[in-house]
Amino acid sequence: MLADFINPYHLQIASFILINILLAISVYVPLSSGQLSLGSAGFMGVGAYTSALLTIHFDLPIFVGVLVGAAVAGCLGIIIGIPSLRLSGVYLAIATLGLGEVIRVIFVNWESLTKGSIGLTGIPQMGRELLKLARNVGIEPAMFGLRNNQFVYLMVFVILLILVIGTIWFVFRQQNSRIGRSFSSIQMDEKAAESMGINITYFKVLSFSQGAFLAGLAGALFAHVMGYISPSDFSYHRAVEILIFTVFGGSEVIIGSIFGAIFLTLIPEVLRFVSEYRYIIYGIMLVILMAVRPQGILDIHLLSKFKRLKRSKGGVR
Amino acid sequence: MKGIFQKSFTVMVVLMLFLLTACSGSSTGDEGSTNTDGGTIQAKIGVVSYLTGAGAAYGEAITNGLKLAQSEINEQGEVNIDLVIEDSAGEAEQALSAAQKLMNDEEILAIIGPTLSTEFFAVAPEADLNGISIMGTSTTAEGIPEIGDYVFRNSIPEALAIPTAMEKAVERTGAKKVALIYGNDDVLTKSGFDTMKKAAEEMGLEIVTIETFQKGQSDYNAQLTKIKNANPDLILASALYNEGAVIMDQARKMGIEVPFVGGNGFNSPQVLEIAGEAANGLIVATPWFGESEDPKVVEFNKKFEEAYGKLPDQFAAQAYDALYIYADALKRAGEADRELFHEALAETKNFEGLLGNFSFDEIGDVVMDVKVVEIKDGKFVEFQ
Repeated sequence: MLADFINPYHLQIASFILINILLAISVYVPLSSGQLSLGSAGFMGVGAYTSALLTIHFDLPIFVGVLVGAAVAGCLGIIIGIPSLRLSGVYLAIATLGLGEVIRVIFVNWESLTKGSIGLTGIPQMGRELLKLARNVGIEPAMFGLRNNQFVYLMVFVILLILVIGTIWFVFRQQNSRIGRSFSSIQMDEKAAESMGINITYFKVLSFSQGAFLAGLAGALFAHVMGYISPSDFSYHRAVEILIFTVFGGSEVIIGSIFGAIFLTLIPEVLRFVSEYRYIIYGIMLVILMAVRPQGILDIHLLSKFKRLKRSKGGVR
Repeated sequence: MKGIFQKSFTVMVVLMLFLLTACSGSSTGDEGSTNTDGGTIQAKIGVVSYLTGAGAAYGEAITNGLKLAQSEINEQGEVNIDLVIEDSAGEAEQALSAAQKLMNDEEILAIIGPTLSTEFFAVAPEADLNGISIMGTSTTAEGIPEIGDYVFRNSIPEALAIPTAMEKAVERTGAKKVALIYGNDDVLTKSGFDTMKKAAEEMGLEIVTIETFQKGQSDYNAQLTKIKNANPDLILASALYNEGAVIMDQARKMGIEVPFVGGNGFNSPQVLEIAGEAANGLIVATPWFGESEDPKVVEFNKKFEEAYGKLPDQFAAQAYDALYIYADALKRAGEADRELFHEALAETKNFEGLLGNFSFDEIGDVVMDVKVVEIKDGKFVEFQ
């Protein structure tokens, strides 16, 4: 029964969507305290390479690798964050973009460790490892009427979904806490926030390194979903793509980032039937939407309009 | 705010469910149509190619080569091949999604592509796991056929091409000292460099200097000055043609007159257009020699130019051969069954293709003779 509904291709795209949601949030969090970071691709690479190397060379379980990868990216976020957060706006964007490139060039040149531009092969794939584990405790996919590859992708999808929901829950809760309000006060006016007794440096570094942590987490997961990474996966192109997720969907609200990541990952796949023209359509869509709605598709006004609509409907009833 | 939070989940859950349930009918499609039908064998071959983005020219050449081969094969009538072409945009995860889509279609017999080695490394293990034969037509990096039983390639690996070219060049020039220059941020050029260095060491050549450059660089004077001062007898350049041609141009202007030995990526008629006179003295080993007098090559050139308005390059030629190899294996397999096809493909021996006599070794790598060509007086000629 279940087997008829599970298509590895769709699950794979869903998995990429979930990873992209994490990446979009990693830009959204620093942005919520007024910092435009373009270093996500770099932090993502740090997380991916750390986790991949640990699991390849030390046979660590994947979840340890992923956690360490994310933590290393987060620590790098703190180290980089402290000096570079003196910068703001465009200057910070350029500095973080530079950081991302530096990280990529290190991956290219540190050949003894990263195998240079050839990339790392043979990274344990999350789903396949889980399949092995399940078999060891005597569970066969066939018991649920699933084929092996269906089981593999279903497991990957479920794990990613749990992680993404957990992350969204965390960011959402944080937003409505003292920390989140401090973030938005810094975004509105740094000077005013400081005079109200908010420790600007602390909160800025906090939001920046949270973004780095999330990007690292996404990168580590990416490595274990793909099974192969190379420096070209973490280029400048990727940094811009991640930024577009957030800006396109709406950078003021978290659901904007989520929407942007889902929509922009799905579109190139849905448009596969027009083959060569799909990226042209993708580009035209971006131009039109940015011209019409520079704040992104979803913003606070639109959301509150939805809410009012719902409420008034409820009232009539 | 809590409402928005819940709503975000609702939206996500709905979208995910949509994705899950939007199963295409093709996955449950019947296999009946792929079987023999009045003597001809019907088969669908999946193609993953780099059709949009910076390297789209490669993907275009490959798909054109495939389409030409397809129309010829179908005309002959023994097998009838359908090509299902998907774009990968040169990105590993897109290539994986595209390949996943193809593999999920029960009617797809085997896959050709993806174009880049970085894409291939991501896709091939998955194909191998699913038991679908996959063949690279443009992937020359080391370690590709080793991925698994179902992984093949018909592009000549650098490990075979470069040493052949170096041996011939050293034989004629009697070179003792060599300088190396390579692009260190590209899989192809990096793996070509590894091969060059290993071959140079094995041949007992003295490496006087090793220089690197990056993709898209336009000024190589710093590296070339060092090379000039080291005074080598031969320069081994692992570069793609666009950078390589500029390097040769600047080297000649600087007064470096020694021959260059290049890898597979350096082998393109574009070198002549970019570097002009300065390209004289480039030696490359290649499976594809477009100026050849071989009637097969002449005919292919003519047909290709008629169909697409330009002369084919090695990528088109390799793709053309690849589909013929698949068709040949399909004939021997007798029916469009993934397992039978895989067995037949692995047994490919002494196949007479456009590029010459072709066989797979036991891991699915190429066994064939390599031609060495050089640029002399502004055109490619066979190396004497």
